[in-house]
Amino acid sequence: MKRREGSILNIILILLLLVGLALLPQVASRFSIYLTIQILLLSLLAMGFNLLFGYTGLLSFGHAAFYAIGAYAAGLILKEATPSLLLAVLVGTAVAALFSLVIGFFCVRHTKIYFSMLTLAFGMMVYSLIWKWRDVTGGDDGLIGIPRGTLSIPGLLQVNLHSMESYYYFVLIVCLLSTLFLHRLVHSSFGLILQGIRENAERVAFTGISVQHYRLLAFIISGAFAGLAGTLLPPLENTLAPAVAHWTKSAEPVLVSLLGGAQTFAGPIIGSILFLVIKESIVRHTEYWLIWFGAILLVLVLGFRGGIVGFLYENVLTRLRR
Amino acid sequence: MKRMNRRDFLKRSLGTLAGVALGTGLDLPEAFAQRRPVKQGPIKIGGQAILSGPLGGYGNFMKMGAQLAVEEINTKGGIAGSQTEIEFRDEELKPDVAVKNARYFVDNWGADFLIGCDASSVGLAVGQVMPELNKVLIITHAATEKINEDLVYKKGIKQVFRISVPVYQDGIAAAIIAKDFPVKRWAAISPDYEYGYTTWKMFRETLKKFRPDVEFIAEAWAKFGTVDFGPHIGAVMPKEPEGIFTTEWGGEAITLIKQAKLFGVFDKAKAWMNPMGAAMDVLEGLGAEYPLGLWISCRYWFLYPDTRENRAFVQRFQKRWNRYPHYVSETGYSAVYAIKTAVEKAGTLETSEVIKALEGLSLDTPAGKRVFRREDHQAIYEVPWGQTAEDKKYPFRILRPLKVIPANDYYRQPPFA
Repeated sequence: MKRREGSILNIILILLLLVGLALLPQVASRFSIYLTIQILLLSLLAMGFNLLFGYTGLLSFGHAAFYAIGAYAAGLILKEATPSLLLAVLVGTAVAALFSLVIGFFCVRHTKIYFSMLTLAFGMMVYSLIWKWRDVTGGDDGLIGIPRGTLSIPGLLQVNLHSMESYYYFVLIVCLLSTLFLHRLVHSSFGLILQGIRENAERVAFTGISVQHYRLLAFIISGAFAGLAGTLLPPLENTLAPAVAHWTKSAEPVLVSLLGGAQTFAGPIIGSILFLVIKESIVRHTEYWLIWFGAILLVLVLGFRGGIVGFLYENVLTRLRR
Repeated sequence: MKRMNRRDFLKRSLGTLAGVALGTGLDLPEAFAQRRPVKQGPIKIGGQAILSGPLGGYGNFMKMGAQLAVEEINTKGGIAGSQTEIEFRDEELKPDVAVKNARYFVDNWGADFLIGCDASSVGLAVGQVMPELNKVLIITHAATEKINEDLVYKKGIKQVFRISVPVYQDGIAAAIIAKDFPVKRWAAISPDYEYGYTTWKMFRETLKKFRPDVEFIAEAWAKFGTVDFGPHIGAVMPKEPEGIFTTEWGGEAITLIKQAKLFGVFDKAKAWMNPMGAAMDVLEGLGAEYPLGLWISCRYWFLYPDTRENRAFVQRFQKRWNRYPHYVSETGYSAVYAIKTAVEKAGTLETSEVIKALEGLSLDTPAGKRVFRREDHQAIYEVPWGQTAEDKKYPFRILRPLKVIPANDYYRQPPFA
């Protein structure tokens, strides 16, 4: 009975959020829509990342690599081959998944700091590759003039995404479907095994499950979602530069997951919202934003044990139920 | 005093009435338009530059210049009667951050103009979204030729202008100076990114045309943020170059020169060229440690041109900030004045009209006369090259003798084949 009240509250909150998101372009300015798209992209990247971090217990410091690979693959398709958004998103995600397979193959043999350092190294390798491979990536000037493309399924659908509003809906739908998929995934037996690996890999291994295979699979799915988030970036910005592959970008999903709560499903989403909204508000008031931003994040991460969602869940929801 | 009779009075009243009627409905006569402010409320300028990290000084210098211009303009009645407001944001040298800044300024803050952009990638990324935002952007630093040649000329993005010199100054002008040197063997130690490659390529291609006898024997590329140039100097010097060309800038230019001194590079090589070597941060950073006789330039140097206008600008800048102006201070300052001149000429803030007013506009600025080329919106003006020399009046090196090449002689011309 008590349990049901919690889930009803959950459902109400989610419905409110969905209605809000759906109606946003009716009330918000073009800039707010743009900022919301950025929040959606960061949430998607962080949710993918958190499958590995929060659920499997592997801290990757190189997820910007997959984000960037997805972005560059999509950007190149849109710019050089065909302005088909769907194709760019699908191929970009597939390329990112392929790279995750190769890089993950080497990384999942290790855990803890060794795993983190390896992912950092691979991440910076991808960064250098993008920086140096000027004929394809445009070096540090990047890819310029990437069209947003059209959303077309031959014989079925043809949508012009030129306006910010229509692109927003496209990103929103992709993100909602991904969230639904990831939610099902972490609550499936696959997700339970990943959590088992996080808690005690040896015990899981004794049940006859190949820990490495599961870790690799989690790595690939995680990288694919990071790549998917990346594919949505070039149509938004129309340009793409190597900064998206830098380790400072890899730090963002780590931070937002910690901020929101890595052990909760909604943590990375709430973390992303807070991260970008806080930054945006500080930047408006001071040019020395870094010091304020750092201080506020520090207080939030240290003050809310288990992240904001985790903290609220522990302290507010449980108290409400009592 | 002349008395007004009844007939005169009637005539005037009718005239005024007609004027009001016309003024509300039809095209305004010139005199009417001039008297109304172009905007209710302040004219807003959104500026962005690098304000954090090791290159944060550049953004601050640019801000000082732009701020000074806004203060001067406001005390003299504003732009076309409207007060001017400027706000700055950190571009972080990241294109996505810079695009977000631009979108915030225009869509949320209500900017009428954008100025700034330090990194080339930032200038290109922001330039790319200007048609959508449809405001005028005046670039004050980003130097890539792709901005004027590709974005403006080839893609027809008319909202973008650049008031600072492009890489032609760094590569082509350098070669025109170097052609007279008794140097046959050249080597490069330059930044490992687009700016470094492009300038070295322009330098080689131009020099080869004048001097078929020169050779380019070695190159070493230094990553962004290099603190130890030992390996780069070590890779180039054994090949015994007679001339060294470098486009290192900011703190890295300072580090490179200090370390090159330790390696005795300035005793072995006959010539050293650095198009960014006369930037105020490098001059002040090296002080008396700057070796004499090196060939350097930048995008504006505070003692050139020797005009009353420039001397007065340097004085006002010093009075306000207690510093010598950096080149980005001058470009930021002049960008604000370019906006003022264009708006007053256009008599409106309508983007298409302001663009028309800016195209071909000739502007008296501290750096001398600037003309915005119609085809690619690039400002044409002269920046000197010169050799580092000592002057008791200044705690840092100055440029003497100067060598000034007319900008039209070395700027690439449309159509950029």
